[in-house]
Amino acid sequence: MHLNFSLAQRNIFRNTRRTALTICLIASGLAALLFTDAFIRGMSVSMIKTSTETFLGDAQIHHQGFREANDIDVYLKKNLQLYKQLENIEQIKNYAPRVMAGAMLSSSENVTSVIVYGVDAQKESQVSQLKQAMIKGSYLADKKAEIIIGDDLADLLEVDLGDRLVITVSQAQGGDLSQELFRVSGIYHFADRFMNKGLAVINLMQGQKLLNINGVHEIALRFNHVQQASDFSLKLWADLNNTELETLSWRQLVPQLSSMLDMSQYSTLIVSIIMSVLVALGLINSMFMSIYERHYEFGILLAVGTRPRQLFWLILLEGFYIGLLSVVAGVLFGGLISYWKSVTGIDYSGTEFSGISMSDPIYLIIDILEFVKISGFILMITVLSCVYPAFHAARLLPSIAMRKAL
Amino acid sequence: MSHVIETKNLCRSFGKGEILVKALDNANLTIDKGEFTAIIGPSGSGKSTLLQLIGGLDEPTSGEVFLDNKNISLMSGAELSDFRRDHIGFIFQAYNLIPVLSAEENIEYIMLLQKVPVEERSKRVKEILQAVGLQGKEGRRPAQLSGGQQQRVAVARAMVSKPSLILADEPTANLDSHTGAALLDMMKELNEKHNMTFVFSTHDPMIMQRAKRIIKLHDGRIVDDERRSA
Repeated sequence: MHLNFSLAQRNIFRNTRRTALTICLIASGLAALLFTDAFIRGMSVSMIKTSTETFLGDAQIHHQGFREANDIDVYLKKNLQLYKQLENIEQIKNYAPRVMAGAMLSSSENVTSVIVYGVDAQKESQVSQLKQAMIKGSYLADKKAEIIIGDDLADLLEVDLGDRLVITVSQAQGGDLSQELFRVSGIYHFADRFMNKGLAVINLMQGQKLLNINGVHEIALRFNHVQQASDFSLKLWADLNNTELETLSWRQLVPQLSSMLDMSQYSTLIVSIIMSVLVALGLINSMFMSIYERHYEFGILLAVGTRPRQLFWLILLEGFYIGLLSVVAGVLFGGLISYWKSVTGIDYSGTEFSGISMSDPIYLIIDILEFVKISGFILMITVLSCVYPAFHAARLLPSIAMRKAL
Repeated sequence: MSHVIETKNLCRSFGKGEILVKALDNANLTIDKGEFTAIIGPSGSGKSTLLQLIGGLDEPTSGEVFLDNKNISLMSGAELSDFRRDHIGFIFQAYNLIPVLSAEENIEYIMLLQKVPVEERSKRVKEILQAVGLQGKEGRRPAQLSGGQQQRVAVARAMVSKPSLILADEPTANLDSHTGAALLDMMKELNEKHNMTFVFSTHDPMIMQRAKRIIKLHDGRIVDDERRSA
């Protein structure tokens, strides 16, 4: 047995160039797979982060029917009682109540339609990145008539800090028009164009007054861990979904992102399949070349009493060694590149994926367990690819093998 | 007397239809223990085919081969491999060593297959290397040995497991006359000392001179079988 190991090790280095090229092929495939896995992992986290941390939250609570009808009359009336309930749920880190309505926003120069949000400045800063996105002026400070808008909206309305804006909305409970004057107190910038151009944010109480409601339309939630937003076994989902409340996680609020992330798992699988086929074909070709070159030698081995099964295992062992060397090279190569990009990131600023504008670089995420699994899978593919050539060698008739020598 | 080799109506054809070539035609033959036999004949007469069929390296089109009274046609692949390993030593024309193994490892290979204990293996390897005059060259790989030395290693490998039969297919074809003669003398000595059976396929007059029996083949048929006194 020892000699078989020794034979296999020596055989793979008989044609160093061919073995090195085969190892390069498999190692490159593995490195690409590892990189893809780490990239998709990083991209998913980045997209979830961009999507939920910007403004959405990990989950949102609305009154049943609000999202379907988009009717400002459908709002959460027992909001204070609900706040207490939220404070008692251990998974919820922070929450931010909001009112919202479609409105006309006019400056002295222009007019446009926007969605006006009324937010609790302090709570909002713990859930969304509105405060961090300020590029001019200051964030909301619970002062009367202050409004913050995106830079694109400011350009459109040709306003700057301190300029006047008039919000015109249709009020709840009757639909009377209500108008109020605000002064631009701050200008923010997000990577998301809609946030910059289609949104205006005022203080919650002023929003409630403007819309003539005494509750809120939406409560954005921030969980302790973003994964909890996808864990529907948690009790909170049952507690916060009833005849009055509808609580949805970001997966349900942005289904296109959720689908895209699910799809990305398949893309890793598809890349794996393509790589595996390439690796397998490359290796089968290489092993057959090696076997054809050694036909005479196999004839000799069989003639002196080597069992066909022993020859079969010898070829598989050679494949295993090639696989092992390839996996080591591939893990080193793929691991180093993935690690490098997990530190420096890949800049996709401004690029939109499934409607999500990436603001930060994508930092690759290395999952050691997944790396082990992929490497094991490639090693298995390498060994399996050798089954056919090994079977061919084992079935050789010694006399034919010795005649077929190249 | 029991025969080491017995062939009955042995035939081997290649090709089909009009291009059918009868390499061996109805060969009936018996070889007894301790014989030093040469199978001779012109190229294409079926010498190597007969040797390969006797050694179980090829399958006959029809007929039977008995080795030590066992019909090898009835053996499975693994049984035949084991039988060759334990009872037959092969020496081929040339390049018949495993290039990645040293001379010592090439000789040791069959004993490893036979699971001979390590002490016994190294003892036998030492003895046989001495017998073939290759002491000090055990660590060399085939590419580092001359043709004659490679063939000596092949002879040592064929004999180390003490088989009852050695089949040698033109063993001196690639050797100069001096090396060839030395090798044949060594084999003759082993034949006489250990009563090993040797069957050669050859056109080499040096082998014919030393052979106790000469079987002549022509167009796949045995046309002459001459026994010589010692």
